Amino acid sequence: MSNAMNFGTKSFKPRAPDKGAFPLDHFGECKAFKERFMKCLKDNSFDNSKCRLQSKDYLECRMDNQLMAKEPLARLGFKDLMDPPPNQADRDTKP
Amino acid sequence: MLLPLLVRPSLCGPQASVILTRCVRTLHSQAEHFLRRRLPPRPHGHSRGTKTRGRKSKSQEEEWKSRNKTVLTYIAAAGVGMIGLSYAAVPLYRLYCQASGLGGTAVAGHDADQVETMTPVKERVLKISFNADTHASMQWNFRPQQTEIFVVPGETALAFYRAKNPTDQPIIGISTYNVVPFEAGQYFNKIQCFCFEEQRLNPHEEVDMPVFFYIDPEFDEDPRMARVDTIILSYTFFEAKEGQKLPLPGY
Repeated sequence: MSNAMNFGTKSFKPRAPDKGAFPLDHFGECKAFKERFMKCLKDNSFDNSKCRLQSKDYLECRMDNQLMAKEPLARLGFKDLMDPPPNQADRDTKP
Repeated sequence: MLLPLLVRPSLCGPQASVILTRCVRTLHSQAEHFLRRRLPPRPHGHSRGTKTRGRKSKSQEEEWKSRNKTVLTYIAAAGVGMIGLSYAAVPLYRLYCQASGLGGTAVAGHDADQVETMTPVKERVLKISFNADTHASMQWNFRPQQTEIFVVPGETALAFYRAKNPTDQPIIGISTYNVVPFEAGQYFNKIQCFCFEEQRLNPHEEVDMPVFFYIDPEFDEDPRMARVDTIILSYTFFEAKEGQKLPLPGY
C-alpha cells in the first residue's frame, strides 16, 4: 500500500521504535503476566485504561528477566500508577 | 444533419476515422460560410496612402523590433528564473514539510521525554485494530492476540502478537508495520516493539511479541484527525536471510 507510485500522495513512512526492539521471550518467563493482562482486557471489553496495572506488571517482569532495558516506570508513562492514590482510589481497577 | 454523425458511437477504427473526416469537412464548410457573412466589407482606404504607409511601417518596424527585444529579454529572464526556482525548490520544500508536518515527516517536538510529561486526553477514545500478515514465502503463523483495543491519546498501551514456527527449521523473520490512516501514523509512537530487527524462532517454537506504544496527545488537537476514530496497525513478517543487513528507517 505504501509502495503505490502515486506522485504527490502522502505515503506512510515507518519509524523505528524509540527504545528499539523487545528481545523475544523464548522461555515464556513473562507469560503469566501476559495472560493476566489479556484476561483483564477481555473482562473490560478491551479498554486499555483499565488494564494499565497489568501492563505495568508485564513490563516489570520483562525488566526483571533481562528482556527489557531497566527504566524508571515514570518514563514509560506509568507515572500515575506510581503515586500513592489518596484521591485516585477508584481510578485503577484491581486485577 | 450533423447530429446523427456526432452522436453515433465510434465503431471499429477505419469506420470511425471516415466518419470523423466527414464531420470535420462539413464543420469546416459551415464555419467558412458563417465567417464570410460576418466579416465586414474590406475598408475603402485600402489602396490609398501608400507613401504614408511606407514611412509608418518603417518606424513601426523599429518599434516592433525594440518591443520584441524587450519581450525576449523578459522571457529569457523568466526562463532563467524558473530554472533557479526549480533548484531552490528542494531545500525550500523540505523546510515547508518540516514546518507543516505534511508527507509523514517527523513532527517537531517528538522526543522520548514526552512520554514522561504527557497527560492522557481521556475524552477521546480511539479504537486500535490489529492486523497481522506474513509474506507468501514466510511460514510462520503470525496473528494478533487481540483484535482491537481502546486507548486514549497520551496513554501508553500494550498489545500482543503471537508467532509460531511450525516447521522443523529455525526461521529468522523481520517485520515492518503500517498504520492506516496515513496521517494518523505520525501520531503513532512506538516505544518498543519487535519490528525492524531479526527475530529468530526455533522449530516448533511459539512466542508472544509485545508492542508498547502510545498516541501523541496532540492528536486530539489536529483538525484533520477530528473524525478519525479507528486506527489500524498492521504488521507484516518477512523471512530474513542469514547475514542480511536491512536499513533501519529513520531520519
